[in-house]
Amino acid sequence: MSKIPLGPFHPALEEPYKIEVTCTGETITDAEITVGFNFRGIEWLAERKNYTQGIALLERVCGICSNVHTMMFCRAVESIGAIEVPERAKYIRVVMAEAERLHSHLLWAGVACNLIGFETLFMTCFSLREQVMDVLEGISGNRVNYAMNRPGGVNRDITDPASVLAAIRTIADVTTKQLIPVLTTDPTVRARCAGVGILTREDAIAYGAVGPMARASGIDIDLRKSAPYEAYDQLSFDVPVRQEGDVFARIVIRALEILESCKLIEQAIEMMPVGPIAGGLFPTVPEGEACVRIEAPRGEVIYYMASNGTDMPARVRVRTPTFANMPTARVMALGQGLSDLALIQASIDPCYSCTDR
Amino acid sequence: MTASFGAIQLLVFPGLLYAFVAGFFMEWLQRKINARLQGRIGPPFYQPFFDFVKLLGKKPIPRPPLQGFIMTALPAVSVVATLGAVAILPVLSTGIGFSGDVILLVSLIEVGPLLAVLGGFASRSLWGGLGASREAVMTAAYNLPFLTALIALAWNSDLSIGLLATTAPWHVRLLAMAAILLCLPAKLHLNPFSISSAEQEIYAGATTEYDGPRLALWELAHSFEWVALTGLFALLSVPMVGVADLWRVLIFVGVSLAVVVVLSVAAASTARLKLAQTARWFWLWGFLLALSALGLALAGI
Repeated sequence: MSKIPLGPFHPALEEPYKIEVTCTGETITDAEITVGFNFRGIEWLAERKNYTQGIALLERVCGICSNVHTMMFCRAVESIGAIEVPERAKYIRVVMAEAERLHSHLLWAGVACNLIGFETLFMTCFSLREQVMDVLEGISGNRVNYAMNRPGGVNRDITDPASVLAAIRTIADVTTKQLIPVLTTDPTVRARCAGVGILTREDAIAYGAVGPMARASGIDIDLRKSAPYEAYDQLSFDVPVRQEGDVFARIVIRALEILESCKLIEQAIEMMPVGPIAGGLFPTVPEGEACVRIEAPRGEVIYYMASNGTDMPARVRVRTPTFANMPTARVMALGQGLSDLALIQASIDPCYSCTDR
Repeated sequence: MTASFGAIQLLVFPGLLYAFVAGFFMEWLQRKINARLQGRIGPPFYQPFFDFVKLLGKKPIPRPPLQGFIMTALPAVSVVATLGAVAILPVLSTGIGFSGDVILLVSLIEVGPLLAVLGGFASRSLWGGLGASREAVMTAAYNLPFLTALIALAWNSDLSIGLLATTAPWHVRLLAMAAILLCLPAKLHLNPFSISSAEQEIYAGATTEYDGPRLALWELAHSFEWVALTGLFALLSVPMVGVADLWRVLIFVGVSLAVVVVLSVAAASTARLKLAQTARWFWLWGFLLALSALGLALAGI
């Protein structure tokens, strides 16, 4: 019986957090998760900055899904102030959100490959991710914090749709021809991932799992379908669902979602209407409150915002998907081998910076 | 005469000088092939040597005297033992071989992993201990087919390395060579069997706490291991009877490097397996291969 800490700093972790497991031999008998290493007090700060500053602040909640957070902040403001978003801006938001999903899923696939020691596939994923980042940079001028959203629209137009389309088609092509075949048929990948870290449908419901985690456990939830926002109701796409609930199913789900995102970006760019991309000056936000939610790459994000009519929000509450998914790590790790722990905790696609805020 | 030949074999070829150059070259080749297959440029050919020199120049963390001594002595002995394994490979026709040198070779090759296990525990780190216990299980896993295959080859050879390749019939040799080739990635800590040095799980495994010159010694021992194991494979795979010395050397070096290429490509195209899966793999498929070789050798077919 020994206690083995994974973290707060460990090669298998992208960011500091700690999962301490109790092991008998190499079998995990208990696990305890500690978070809070990335706490920056962003919610507290958001109540002390005006709305314009708030956008820049909330963008820094996460280094991967930064666009989601500005979009949520702006959607909350739009909801309180009943601000209309121009049609073209809605499509641009979809393109940004889906490109970000590509970025997030490719990064995760790379990390998963790295954790099972498959360096070559890790490099393939990261070279694809690099192309997505080029697309994002081409549109917004930035690689990480895109500064695209504002209440009532977006800040930049997509001026070169042809290059975006070309890059997205390359990504879809490489994903279909290289990434998915290797991930799904390589015997060593199967040996490491199939049947590992199983989260049953019942457990997924009991723990309130969201996003790809829930979809890999046979729960068909996706806000883009069930509560469409922006232009998602105009676009056609599938929501992949698997029943197995193991790490392998999560890999397959995310790989298929990469293809769906490529499809969505292509459609959005082709169907994008001509018109303005934003309203006029920064609107004043009336008294009121709003609760908004969208499907981030990792699952459902919820924002609650209360306004008292001043230029600063009275309260901003951020609930990220990792907060909902985090407790499932313990259930999945119990009874598994120590060598699977890194992979199991990573299969959530955890983002503890978002969770700690 | 014998003494001077022995000295050349130990210090020049295939001993110290060759092993030093070839070991770093093989490590570079593996890294380069890996990089090219991953779409990277990869390191220049002198990189492993520079890494070694840089480690040598670092000041190690002060440790209690006894622990410091053990942590220096273990890798040093590992270097010497592995070098011995390289040096007794009878590549040249003037080579010093004797009846029973297979046993000496096997024991010298096994000293390295054994000391790594001790070294991991001696470092008194959780990760070192985990790496050491994994290394120990791995040793038990791959040595069963490895040793069985060697016994099959050695059955009629008077236990002499020089005769292994020539005395065993080709079908026995083929099966035994396949079993040995299967064991090489595990012995060299390569994918899919890089379990005892899985950095995402247990950092550097047994060598986690080693730094500076102490780590440099482990690295050197590891590069000698490359030369010894690929060299052994080269000697076993090509029967060199009545071949001139120059050809012997060229074949030895050529086959050794070819094995490095094969191992590197296999490592680049696989994920890391788990300990239990590896043990099952070796005890089932590896052992089956080796056992059939032994069966054929015993039956004299």
